[in-house]
Amino acid sequence: MSMDSVAARGSVSSNVRRYGVNLRGFVRRSPFAAVWGLIGLILILMALGAPLISPQDPLKANFTKISAPPDSESYFGTDQIGRDLLSRILYGARISLFVALASVLIGTTIGGVWGLVSGYLGGLTDMISQRFVEIIMALPGLILAFALVLVLGAGMWTIILAIAVTRVPFGARIIRSVALTVKETAYVEAARGIGASQTRIMARHIAPQCVAPFLILFTVHLGTVIVIEASLSFLGLGVSPPTPTWGGMLGEASALLYPLWWHVFFPGVFITITVLAFNLFGDGLRDALDPRLRGTLE
Amino acid sequence: MRTYILKRLLYAIPTIFGITVLIFGIMRILPGDPLGAYYGIETIIQWTPEQKAAILRDLGLDKPIAVQYAVWVKDIASGKLGESFFRGDPIIEIMAQRGPISAQIGIISVVISWIIGLPVGIISAVRPNSVWDMSTSFFTVLFLAIPGFWLGLLVVVASISWFQYKAPIVSVQFWEDPWTNFQIIVGPAIVLGLGQAAFIARMARSSLFEVLREDYVRTSRAKGLIERLVIARHAMPNALLPVLTLSGVLLGFVMGGSVAVEQAFTVPGLGKALVVAAIDRDFNVVQNIVLFYAVIFVLVNLLIDMLYGWLDPRIRLN
Repeated sequence: MSMDSVAARGSVSSNVRRYGVNLRGFVRRSPFAAVWGLIGLILILMALGAPLISPQDPLKANFTKISAPPDSESYFGTDQIGRDLLSRILYGARISLFVALASVLIGTTIGGVWGLVSGYLGGLTDMISQRFVEIIMALPGLILAFALVLVLGAGMWTIILAIAVTRVPFGARIIRSVALTVKETAYVEAARGIGASQTRIMARHIAPQCVAPFLILFTVHLGTVIVIEASLSFLGLGVSPPTPTWGGMLGEASALLYPLWWHVFFPGVFITITVLAFNLFGDGLRDALDPRLRGTLE
Repeated sequence: MRTYILKRLLYAIPTIFGITVLIFGIMRILPGDPLGAYYGIETIIQWTPEQKAAILRDLGLDKPIAVQYAVWVKDIASGKLGESFFRGDPIIEIMAQRGPISAQIGIISVVISWIIGLPVGIISAVRPNSVWDMSTSFFTVLFLAIPGFWLGLLVVVASISWFQYKAPIVSVQFWEDPWTNFQIIVGPAIVLGLGQAAFIARMARSSLFEVLREDYVRTSRAKGLIERLVIARHAMPNALLPVLTLSGVLLGFVMGGSVAVEQAFTVPGLGKALVVAAIDRDFNVVQNIVLFYAVIFVLVNLLIDMLYGWLDPRIRLN
């Protein structure tokens, strides 16, 4: 496995210092990724500011203006019961982005801690936990999340939880491979030699080396998760209506006998731009922090 | 080589066993009441305890969890897979009707992804930073981001509004009516194929790009081999191995994606059956379809592992 061969990680934390904190260095080295990072940031601000910037009430139906094409009053047109699509998309960003950020944060953190402990302790613990990771990975992410949401009931936090579960194995595998290499280094041996406890070694000596891969994993998986959330909402297992979500809007449109292009086009454009932003920013971050993780994360 | 295959096969058994436990655990032990979801809480409250017990007994839900699990495993082993909770159809029939359509879509999409992705990736690797490379990498990045079900919806909307055409919503097998069957599967297969092609192209490019810088490739050039042979004979076999593995990993992407893409095209495949069963809270159907997906995923990747062992002399000769 290429992940296990990721060797000699001594320079990783200095890379975090060099690029992570030094924003100017990152912008100069990967201007393209920086631009997409900025777009991601704008999307997040847009979601936060939705109540301030959206032109109309996203929930207010207007039966005099049903399925109206885009015009100067509603730029993206209106849906089948006359709600303003632009406002719904702006509010929909709140759910999509919050679910994505929360689920990846929770899933990657649990997976990361799991992988760190499993890789450091090694032996039987590690073997059993790796089998378990394999079992979770044998279920396609969307299908696993689908089954979990189905059983737990669709709500924002159950969706977050379900998607988080699908991200755990990735964290567990990547961070484990980091822990495996770091625990062989001389300074960890030295720490053990002066009598540091297992917990202290993991927290103080191994965890800092996992920060860069963690950040990269976090960003790279945001895009995937946005699509999973949108798919779940599209399939009717998202945050329940009338709360707007991007996938849910597409689901409502597809349920119509004759969906109109603006019903379908605009929500999807926003999903695509968001995924692009996180993917490309993530790629840039990976190249800056730890290019050796190239091709091992998905 | 034989021990390698045997070892892989043995590894797959506990994995599949673990998957059945995981799926059963998700479906039965987590909170949620299939009766409540199906009949509605108001109806359930009006039942007498005897009525409720009778219905639970009918569905086999009155037995201890471990027994329910054993019954399920027995059903799987005997190939019956049990019955749909509420419709009473044998699940094996649902799968036999829906499965071939989804399988067609899946297989054709993989073929499309190789036909498009490989040449794109190879040309890009041979001419890095050329106009071709730049423009294909633009499309690669774009198709990695576009959700398949959205692309599917766009195709459906466009074909309705421009050509007044919608693919027939019927479940027809290839051997029954090839033309109707083709119309059903062509859209989802292309959409899923394009999504995978982007992954394949990216992997083929980076993999071949690296192999072309190996010493043995320089040697073959130095001994005067023409470039076409250097690439086709020497570089490609090694560059293709990771692409093959990726294709197996992508199968998970296809299966998950196909659920949403089938819904977008209203294709009556297995994914659509899963969604319908989910709306009915028909846990028996859901759990068997999910298991089916997982087993196919594990088996195909097992097959690829073996193929890998056969193609890679380092493993084959050990």
